[in-house]
Amino acid sequence: MPDWQEVVRQHLHGIHLAENDVAEVVEELAGHLEEAYRYNLRQGLTVEAAAQMALQQSGNWRELEGEIESSRKEELPMNKRVSQFWFPAFVTIFLAMLLLMVIETLGPKPWISPARPLRMTPVAVVYFAWIVTLPFIGALGAWLSSRAGGRPRAVFGSIVFPVLPYLGFFVIGLPIAIILDDKVAHNIMLPAFFVGFSTWVMLPAIALLAGGLPIHFLFGRSRV
Amino acid sequence: MIGPKIKRGTAELAILSVLESQALHGYEIARRIEQETRGALRFTLAALYPMLYRMEKHKLVQGVWETSSNGRRRRCYRLTVAGRKKLAPLRREWAKLFAALHRLAGVSNA
Repeated sequence: MPDWQEVVRQHLHGIHLAENDVAEVVEELAGHLEEAYRYNLRQGLTVEAAAQMALQQSGNWRELEGEIESSRKEELPMNKRVSQFWFPAFVTIFLAMLLLMVIETLGPKPWISPARPLRMTPVAVVYFAWIVTLPFIGALGAWLSSRAGGRPRAVFGSIVFPVLPYLGFFVIGLPIAIILDDKVAHNIMLPAFFVGFSTWVMLPAIALLAGGLPIHFLFGRSRV
Repeated sequence: MIGPKIKRGTAELAILSVLESQALHGYEIARRIEQETRGALRFTLAALYPMLYRMEKHKLVQGVWETSSNGRRRRCYRLTVAGRKKLAPLRREWAKLFAALHRLAGVSNA
């Protein structure tokens, strides 16, 4: 009788699964072929013919290998979203906010643009020490998402997730404040919007992407 | 013999149906489907096992290793509660499809 485990192992030698997973699959498929072989013998076939017919049950080995690999690796859609987007996104936002709090408490102090009272220019406050750390956080987000097989959209979202609260504030909060709060000096609102948007959304987003995109192109593409 | 594309679509219903009454291992599932469809549905390993693994991942079936009296280990699949729940609507869907095809192209309801 053929060594069915050896037959299956040889045909599935290129399968990319964990070792114990491969052993389990090989044992199960070999058991199937052995059952088919024994059935064929009971039907009166010769040993060679029985083995040949049993092997026909495998179908295309390459297709079998690919299908088994994808079915064993396949995650539920919810798990995929968590590992490819939500987990990296929350890691990046948590780290970014934590670092900002630490820098605000312990320093170094932020750069504050000089006030010009006569020109009514809003003051910009930039935490450069925080901005410097953001590429590393963006890189971490990109790596986590790419490693989980995230598509470019998920990776991009994971990288820039820390600026979303600020984006929400400037896009939604500020216009609402203009509409509802008649005590706000409206003549400074537009410049304040651009200064705030640049320093709290654009600048951090660029810093996050500067770290995240190279990592995505390095790790994300090599895994495809 | 039925073509691979149609067969793939029917695989879930076929597997759930044969597991409804008893737990079976992979070879028995394939044999039972082949016998009950009079040879019209024949599953190769490439069609059967990836589907079983996906169904197990979605908790429709549960696979358990069992050792037979002659010492051989076999993985037996049984229907889970979720799998049993899925069977009735799946049957209704297929019945609707057959009825629709019957109206459209004169395909008789098997």
